[in-house]
Amino acid sequence: MADKTFFIDTTRCTACRGCQIACKEWNQNPATKTKNWGSHQNPEDLSFVTYKLVRFSEVVSGGALRWYFFPDQCRHCVEPPCKDAAEALGYKKAIMRDAATGAVLFNQTAKVKAKDFEQIKEACPFNIPRYAPTKMVMAKCTMCIDRVSNGLLPACVKTCPTGAMNFGDRSQMLTLADKRVRELKAQYPKAQVLNAKDVRTIYLIIDDSVRYHKFAKGQGPAGMTRIMAMNKLISPLMRMAGLKG
Amino acid sequence: MKVTRRDFFKISGATAAGLYASQLGFDLSPASAYAATLRIKGAKETTTICAYCAVGCGIICHTSGGKVINTEGDPDHPINQGSLCAKGAALYQWVNNPNRVSTPLYRAPGSAGWKKVSWDWALTEIAKRVKDARDQGFVKANAKGQVVNRTENIAHIGSAALDNEECWTIQAMMRSLGLVYIEHQARI
Repeated sequence: MADKTFFIDTTRCTACRGCQIACKEWNQNPATKTKNWGSHQNPEDLSFVTYKLVRFSEVVSGGALRWYFFPDQCRHCVEPPCKDAAEALGYKKAIMRDAATGAVLFNQTAKVKAKDFEQIKEACPFNIPRYAPTKMVMAKCTMCIDRVSNGLLPACVKTCPTGAMNFGDRSQMLTLADKRVRELKAQYPKAQVLNAKDVRTIYLIIDDSVRYHKFAKGQGPAGMTRIMAMNKLISPLMRMAGLKG
Repeated sequence: MKVTRRDFFKISGATAAGLYASQLGFDLSPASAYAATLRIKGAKETTTICAYCAVGCGIICHTSGGKVINTEGDPDHPINQGSLCAKGAALYQWVNNPNRVSTPLYRAPGSAGWKKVSWDWALTEIAKRVKDARDQGFVKANAKGQVVNRTENIAHIGSAALDNEECWTIQAMMRSLGLVYIEHQARI
């Protein structure tokens, strides 16, 4: 099976939240108690039981009000910094990457300490990993690896009525993304795809990324954080000294 | 995204071989544990129509051991071609929901609260009261002497979530009782 990639065309998103619910349903995650907090974005944030969230953002652009929708989820990075961070912290099997699809997966049987999770979360440029302190387990989007490995589309893509969510071989998705950017450029000069080379969840947006979501494009370069770099540097020494990183 | 069922198989073509090998004990990928456990594998597929709005999207219900284990858009349905909105995608919890009312409830006239009752009691009571109301207002013939066999004491209001077949059954039942006021919030 070829390398897989999501292409999320936010210009086609109507924020129906079909993806958000289909994700909940397929992963058998319980509902989250929501409240009116001044936005239609509900629940407020991703969580241990919410892998997919349509973010709503109201901005004034060129004197007009714009309402941007951003169906947020794990980017399944080509070189996942969370995996590096986990390994640097001594968790060899907590985060895996599926060789066939490229999906980055959190091992649901691997216990992670709360303070270590904080570092793993910090390593993610997109603020995706979530944690259940009672279970000591991390969770996020799985690329519906069970579905994809059996020839089905991820639940969020299958359910999307507007064509905002797309999924397939990486080369096909990149071609589709290019085509859409070219179509949109004339009307929206800021039309762009985010981190196409580095991630397997490629977003197409038509304005500055921070106007959609603080972490839309990723905070800082999609690489190692200071703590991770330090851990990577010292881990061989720690191993030599017989200590756990 | 336009993906036909044929394309699904194309996506999966290479995987099938991979899965087979992994079941033989070779750990081809760390994801094999996830991949081998597709929970709808071997489940019975039954098609239905989403009851929420007038679009009438097609849905596949996966059942196993008599229980609904998954619902998702039907790719072969001409209306939605596999897609569903948030409401349609949430259909699964119509059945599997701890908040669902699981027994008949009775609120007596003048009472402030609901009381759990048995199906037997509820159905008998409904039948009794329908019969009483019908008999009290049954009109055999109208003023002109024409045979009409109708009751004007009862009306029936159908739900928006009824499909054609359910409407037919209700219509037949209500007509047989002699009802003339039969309404339905037709949507699907």
